[in-house]
Amino acid sequence: MIEVLNLRKTFHDRKKGDIPAVRDISFVCSPGHVFGLLGRNGAGKTTTLRMLATILAPTSGTARIDGFDVNDHAGDVRKRIGYLSGDTKLYDRLTGRELLEYFGQLTGMASSAISSRIAELKGSFGLGDFLDKRVGKMSTGMKQRLSLARVVLHDPPVLIFDEPTSGLDVLGAREVLKIVRDLKAKGRTIIFSTHIMTEAERICDEIAIIERGSILAQGTVESLQRENGGGSLEDVFVKTVGEVNGDA
Amino acid sequence: MTHRSWAVCRKELRDALRDGRTIIAVFVIPFVLYPGLMLFMGWIESQNKKEESTLQVRVGVVGEAQLPAVRERLQGVGGVSVVPLERAPASMEDARVDAVLVLPPGIQPAIARGDSVKVELLYKDADHKSSAAEERTRPVLDDVRRALIVLWAQSHGAQVNQPPAISVEHRDVSSKAETGRFIAALVIPYILVFMVAAGSMHIAIDTTTGEKERSTLETLLSTSTSRGELVLGKCMAVITTALTAGFIGIFGLWFNLTVLAGLMPALSGQSLQLTIRPDQALFIFLTVLPTAIFLGAALVAIGCFARSMREGQTYATYVYMAAVFLGLGSFRQVGAPPIGRFTIPILNTALLQREILTDTVVPIHAIVAIGMSAAMAAVMLVIATRLFSNESVLFRT
Repeated sequence: MIEVLNLRKTFHDRKKGDIPAVRDISFVCSPGHVFGLLGRNGAGKTTTLRMLATILAPTSGTARIDGFDVNDHAGDVRKRIGYLSGDTKLYDRLTGRELLEYFGQLTGMASSAISSRIAELKGSFGLGDFLDKRVGKMSTGMKQRLSLARVVLHDPPVLIFDEPTSGLDVLGAREVLKIVRDLKAKGRTIIFSTHIMTEAERICDEIAIIERGSILAQGTVESLQRENGGGSLEDVFVKTVGEVNGDA
Repeated sequence: MTHRSWAVCRKELRDALRDGRTIIAVFVIPFVLYPGLMLFMGWIESQNKKEESTLQVRVGVVGEAQLPAVRERLQGVGGVSVVPLERAPASMEDARVDAVLVLPPGIQPAIARGDSVKVELLYKDADHKSSAAEERTRPVLDDVRRALIVLWAQSHGAQVNQPPAISVEHRDVSSKAETGRFIAALVIPYILVFMVAAGSMHIAIDTTTGEKERSTLETLLSTSTSRGELVLGKCMAVITTALTAGFIGIFGLWFNLTVLAGLMPALSGQSLQLTIRPDQALFIFLTVLPTAIFLGAALVAIGCFARSMREGQTYATYVYMAAVFLGLGSFRQVGAPPIGRFTIPILNTALLQREILTDTVVPIHAIVAIGMSAAMAAVMLVIATRLFSNESVLFRT
């Protein structure tokens, strides 16, 4: 379960002063659901997800991940999440197996548990052919599968995906979405940010349209379409974002 | 040190060992390049000496008629041509001489009167050829002195034609082992500082700023390992590399100067017996450890702060240069250094290592140096951890 309450993040710049990146956003995502954060580049999606992953501290407000507060129990939160960002890279000089073992150790797993989990993921993520190959020599698709395996290695109940299909071709992106759907089916709580409307339509149970750090609209794809007089999700997005920017 | 910090340390070392740049910095440069360069410089120096011995120099003599024996003696020196001059030239270049021996006019009556007589040898220390001319003429000055003494004795009625056969010489009686110990005390502390700084530089920046530049930092920060554990693991990897580079540097120096130089006839003149007793090695390790932690943590802190590898390497170069200059401070130390110098990080370690290698350790020096280095190392570790936990530093653009 993810519960976000009045979460705010303001960055300070010596020249520009305070820059609000996220403004008092609130939402809830339940287990077995995918919550989509839909927004343009720079809308505040990544900052929101970084706060949920405890990489950044909120300026005010809070969020509870699987019952733990991100401000007070960051360590407990990190044990319960798997975080993947689209522009995240891996360690090129390690093999796939070494990389998984390393992150297994960092999440506090025992050696035997890491080995058995790698064996399990090897089959389900199709890592067999390249698990012992150095990451630097893997294709983009292989790296993405390995990244996903790294995220679920410690079997976290909450998964945070920040534009995970970024830079992938159609087949690669399709593969990622399939894995996200499988995780949803297993009852994981998933938050998924994207600026690709079709992706959001296909996998999100609920969507929040975020612009300039604020949530402008929130609901299921159908309810958003209904409230905005029909049309595709893209039409809804353009209309909602256009209104706030004054060009609708 | 937690299990997770060890995992970070092991990963960073594995990663570094697969990086050609680390291999070069830690193994190739300390073992081959620096000691090899030192040997090469020694060889160049010996070649220069050989060339110097065959050099032809021109020495001008003013007032030679007063002491004809001096001219004969000078002509007997290999590679010296004597040029009679009427007076000391305003420019040696114009007179086409490399040095000038000036015998003042009226030596004989001056000595008879009991006046002081000043004979001068003019040369230019800033000119190699002129310095060589001075070196060759110097022994002749003894003959001048003796000839003047004969003149003085004769003026006082003594019946002498030859000066007394007295010679005062200096001779280096150091054994090869003693010279080796002296060189070891001089060079090893400096080389250790130098190698520790050079060995830790690349890996410190690669494990910190490299994480930012390769976009692996977020993944790392989202794991349940605390920032402190991550920094500690990274520092451990940096320190291990730094210590390895330091000791490989010393081993390389010993191997090149003692073993290799002894095996190669062309370099045998450069061979030394660099010996360090096991107890000295142990104490040197104890002194270098806090310094390695201090330097490692300082470089990790810089790596946390820097936005890019280029920026990180620029800052790290300043630390490296500061370390090298502080290490150099031990080079010219004569006698027991004042206690205040043992409070200066890096310099204190180099000075203490000199005392260890020459068996002249002053306990209070050891306590202050190790205590200060350990305190500075702890402060740097805290700073590195703080910087690594500070999102405005980690994510600054």
